[in-house]
Amino acid sequence: MKRVPFFDNPVLRGSLPMWRARLVLILIFAGFLTLVGRALFLQGLSTEFLQQQGERRYERTIPLPAMRGKILDRNGAVLASSVPARGVFAIPEDVKKASDEQMKALAKLLEMPVADIRARIDDDRNFVYLKRQVSVDVGDEIKALNVPGVHQLGENRRYYPDGEVMGHVVGFTNIEDRGQEGVELTFNDVLSGTAGSRRVIKDRLGRVIEDVQAIVPPVDGKDLRLSIDTRLQFVVYKALQDALEERGARAGAAVVIDVHTGEVLALANLPTFDPNRRETYKPANLRNMAITDTFEPGSIMKPFTAALALDLGRITPTTIFDTGNGKFRYQGSTISDVSRNGSIAVGDILRRSSNIGMTMISERLQSREMWDRFTELGLGTAPQIGFPGAAPGRLRPWDRWRLIEKATMAYGYGLSVSLLQVARAYSVFARDGDMVSLSLVKRDSEPTSVRVYPTKIAVMLRSMLEAAAGPDGAKAAQVQGYRVAGKSGTARKIIDGKYSTSRYRSSFVGFAPVSDPKIIVAVSIDEPQKGAYYGGAVAAPVFSRIVGGSLRLMGVKPDAPFESTIVANAPERIR
Amino acid sequence: MGRLSVIVAILLMLSAISLVTARYQSRQLFVESERVQAQTRDLETGWRRLQLDRAEHARNSRVDEAASGELGMLGIVPDRTLYLNQPRGNAAGVTQ
Repeated sequence: MKRVPFFDNPVLRGSLPMWRARLVLILIFAGFLTLVGRALFLQGLSTEFLQQQGERRYERTIPLPAMRGKILDRNGAVLASSVPARGVFAIPEDVKKASDEQMKALAKLLEMPVADIRARIDDDRNFVYLKRQVSVDVGDEIKALNVPGVHQLGENRRYYPDGEVMGHVVGFTNIEDRGQEGVELTFNDVLSGTAGSRRVIKDRLGRVIEDVQAIVPPVDGKDLRLSIDTRLQFVVYKALQDALEERGARAGAAVVIDVHTGEVLALANLPTFDPNRRETYKPANLRNMAITDTFEPGSIMKPFTAALALDLGRITPTTIFDTGNGKFRYQGSTISDVSRNGSIAVGDILRRSSNIGMTMISERLQSREMWDRFTELGLGTAPQIGFPGAAPGRLRPWDRWRLIEKATMAYGYGLSVSLLQVARAYSVFARDGDMVSLSLVKRDSEPTSVRVYPTKIAVMLRSMLEAAAGPDGAKAAQVQGYRVAGKSGTARKIIDGKYSTSRYRSSFVGFAPVSDPKIIVAVSIDEPQKGAYYGGAVAAPVFSRIVGGSLRLMGVKPDAPFESTIVANAPERIR
Repeated sequence: MGRLSVIVAILLMLSAISLVTARYQSRQLFVESERVQAQTRDLETGWRRLQLDRAEHARNSRVDEAASGELGMLGIVPDRTLYLNQPRGNAAGVTQ
């Protein structure tokens, strides 16, 4: 090849037209202009968008979950508390690469058959939960297995140490940590906190390098201290459980209320459920009967009517009523007593639970007066206890009562109440005539109360109720060492619109110790099958057991004389 | 003029080095604070768990079972109790 010097290049020899050089120059300038324009566009007009895109590639917002508050009893024992747990999820596409041994080990840790896991991941979705609320220890073991496509999310799991004993009071939360029943639902706003967040820069390995903005700290839920005393609650639960077993009853409920503060110390229902085990959540078990179920109270209403008649001066404690032979025709119906009682005064009417006597007392009262007083006692309106589904009960307007209805209402038929309402209403006798407001949360201040009866009448009724729970009345209610007062009730249940002759609800409401009442206890046993069905025989022993156990736990001094079987010898040693 | 620029250059160098150290220290402290916070969380969780464990072990039904079943204990009844009367002042301990 012939060497051609560059200055002697034949291409350069001819002179080219000038416009070509100009064209090249213009094109180059146009190129530069485009670049400048693009740079201006990127730098000036779309900076924000581009910066955001950049940040999205190295900045992350980490949510900071808040812990749900604890639920404590009045002495600080834990009733519900959350601990961190893990939600194990899979990305089906990636899991297919996992080896059989890995799957087997995973299945063992999750306590699920391998086939179940395979069925779950055999799906088009790109996110499948394998199991939620796995404990952190198991979660760490799963992480160590390093199964492809299996990852974990942080969750909280709620534990209820007292299980079924506290089920109805505490309630439960759903898997999203939101309250569904009981206190968990009512006080959900207090218990659940607000989640926080932080914005951070992460490095290549996903480690946090620094905070970009100020951290929004999570606010944990507040702890809630209930008025319930776990020890009393257990006494109540155990007493109910044994009674149900002994009587073959369908259900039972009991409430214990502090007379001075109006706090609910115990509230138990059977059948119940264990909030830790979701398989026990059956509609029949979830019913909080003491609060949401209403029933015809029967004889336990009698003291209120008698107190009204005494208050208005229509009768005196010595007014004698002739109840005859136990059968009484009134307004075309027959009202009957269990036994023949003859001529008795109001104290004996309550003690022997005479329906005829109550009918005669009701003749001296007007419907309106009874309705007014029952309304003041909180019947017909739901108690303000802040519990889901508190039942108002039914008290029909007075102007539509017929005479026979006025008579039956005097002894507790023709209206419906909840057990909690009756227990609260009895506080008028346990306190000096005023009715206390209830609370499920521990109180720091004095409760509000409404005066319903004058003190004199309350004191009078207290001694009558003591006699009604005495040796000649419902003597099964007696407690060794303590004076108790109360009234038993046996209400027939309405089946297919008629009063049943085989299904009853036995109840007992009372308070103790009579010299200075501390607690009100209301017990209701639904459909006892074995043995007697009278309130005095079925519910009164439960009342007695609850009162005895509770007063002992509360350290209340006995106020009744009793024979001591032990003697203090050698007083030096006691010191 | 020449001397001034030398001084300024040295100052600039110092400032640059201090910036780097400050930055390094801040990262270190940040990591440390992260670690301590994680520890706080862990301890908090541990405490919650222990509290639950205690509640689980001190459950009334468990205690009742152990007391009446294994140990054959009986409930207290007033006739088998000796009541001591103390003056009002220091009665607090007795009522509990």
